Amino acid sequence: MKLLVIEDDATTGRYIAKGLREEGHVVDLVADGREGLIAATAGGHDVLILDRMLPQVDGLTLLKTLRGAGSKVPVLLLTAMGDVDDRIEGLRAGADDYLAKPFVFGELSARVAALSRRPQAMETETVLRAGDLEMNLITRTVTRAGQVLDLLPREFALLEHLLRRKGRVQTRTMLLEAVWDIGFDPGTNVVETHISRLRAKVDRPFDKEIIQTVRGAGYRIAA
Amino acid sequence: MTARLAELWRSMPLRLALLLVALFTAVSLLSLAASYGFTQRSFEQAMRADLRQDLAGFRAAPNARAVAALVEAESREADPNRMVLSYIAPSGRIFGNGAIARDEAGFHIISLDRDRAQYDGAYLSLTDRLHGGIITVARSRAEIEALGGVFLNILLISLLPTALIALSGGLVLARRSKRHVEVVGRALDRMTGGDLGARVVVGPRWSDDLAQIGGKLNQMATAQEASVTALKQVSSDIAHDLKTPLQRVALQLEDLEGKVPPDSEEAELVARTRAEVADMGHVFQALLQLAQVEAGSARSRFAPVDLAQVCQTLVEVYDPSAGDSGHRLTLEIAAVVPKVRGDRALLGQMVSNLIENALRHTPAGSQITIRLSQHAAGRVWLQVADTGPGIPVKERDKVLDRLYRLDRSRNTPGNGLGLSLVAAVAALHGAELVLGDNEPGLKVDLRF
Repeated sequence: MKLLVIEDDATTGRYIAKGLREEGHVVDLVADGREGLIAATAGGHDVLILDRMLPQVDGLTLLKTLRGAGSKVPVLLLTAMGDVDDRIEGLRAGADDYLAKPFVFGELSARVAALSRRPQAMETETVLRAGDLEMNLITRTVTRAGQVLDLLPREFALLEHLLRRKGRVQTRTMLLEAVWDIGFDPGTNVVETHISRLRAKVDRPFDKEIIQTVRGAGYRIAA
Repeated sequence: MTARLAELWRSMPLRLALLLVALFTAVSLLSLAASYGFTQRSFEQAMRADLRQDLAGFRAAPNARAVAALVEAESREADPNRMVLSYIAPSGRIFGNGAIARDEAGFHIISLDRDRAQYDGAYLSLTDRLHGGIITVARSRAEIEALGGVFLNILLISLLPTALIALSGGLVLARRSKRHVEVVGRALDRMTGGDLGARVVVGPRWSDDLAQIGGKLNQMATAQEASVTALKQVSSDIAHDLKTPLQRVALQLEDLEGKVPPDSEEAELVARTRAEVADMGHVFQALLQLAQVEAGSARSRFAPVDLAQVCQTLVEVYDPSAGDSGHRLTLEIAAVVPKVRGDRALLGQMVSNLIENALRHTPAGSQITIRLSQHAAGRVWLQVADTGPGIPVKERDKVLDRLYRLDRSRNTPGNGLGLSLVAAVAALHGAELVLGDNEPGLKVDLRF
């Protein structure tokens, strides 16, 4: 993918660009709002990673200008504030997702990946598969190697969310938002325990692990 | 209707109007009464002068016989409705057109005999002795009596419309000023509701005092808004200046982690440092959020929130964690739980912090119970109770302070901000927060 990173802090910008390049993306990095706006209007980027506080032209102004000009490029907004007001303001200005500093690179990478593939391709599927795992969305049954797995409704929802994004990392916060509609960090390892309960049913009795842990980032279903 | 009238009655302009009407009526009545008195007196005086004149005419007669003849002659001419004459001659014979003779000399107010009722009405009579007889001349007081009616008419024609106009003017003013006061009230409600951009829009027809109050209110809101903006600026500066370096450190550590051999001592050190940095980020975040909640701007996006649903979700989220740590987490929801006006995310975080707090500070085997019911009609009551060690009475207020931690909790995870946020969110929603004894354990009651 071709990504545009607009971040005024040189160190942060450099690390983000480096990390994304290591994942195989082409990254343009600019350090102020005016240049960012020029680069963004030139177009051709799959996702824009935009810092909220920028010299010259502020991040929100840049975003509004860009949306005003009709650009539909997915935008991930990075912000130091990270409170609810800030989040609402950002989404209202036209951001597609929002990440509060300090974040870990895995979170950023997972969210960029999620943004780039909207809208989802598998909305109309009625059967989701991964290896020998099969989820039937009509009968709401899950089988693995022919054996029926007995899942609780929320375990089903969690597994469905991961299956629909097969091969893509889902972070703890992304799962909390998507499966439980929780926009704050509950602190303890609640997601880990849900994943481990799910694994106990989906993976433990079988040889191959379907739900994978991505260190420092989150979880994914093996592609 | 009655309620609306009662409300109008309490309004200042209407009371003023009524007072003015009463005052005006009193003054008008007084002055009318005075002019009535004066007019009546001058009428009476003129009448007396006429009567004296009449009598003087009879005195000119040389003897009783002549008087009698004169009286007879004039009686025939006179209209008894207007004038009555009577002369009792020394012989005892009565002349004239009415038996109105009086013994004492002087003025009298008299009525005619009952059998001559057609002449009823008061007369003013003057009696005097003349040539051995007694002469009495009387003139009808009908004109003076009629004065009363005239003045009553004047009263009705002048006073009644004035009173009605003043009264309806008062009502109109009262309703208008009520509307203006309501405009001020609504602006004030919005300001207390957290919308500091609300202003009193003063209309051109507003009374000066109300316009002044509105202006002052607007000034106050502007000042308040400026200080909140300044506070926001400070927090956003702090956030930016502290989080930017923190962000660099986090990314650099992540980079470093990839460069040290896994499972080495260095890797463990880097992982520990990363966790510390993450904690610092959480503390900053929590402090910033606390300031944000206390500033109250979230009130402007309050909406009905189903706390039962929020609690159900959170219990579901925490259930496996609670199970793993040997806690029992149960939820008891009453049949009817009304919605709460508030911010769903903040209320969720509040409940989450309370569950988190209970999980962290109670030993394995403890029971954590969340109860949701009503403490009064339409008022939600949320209780989070555990069977852990509880909080000593003298420390219960302190645990709500920022960064305060009980000595025995120093080694458990947490930053001492969880309960502060609970208190701030409760205050934001106007809920009463009480930390009590669950005998044993901590009982947190929130009454909305």
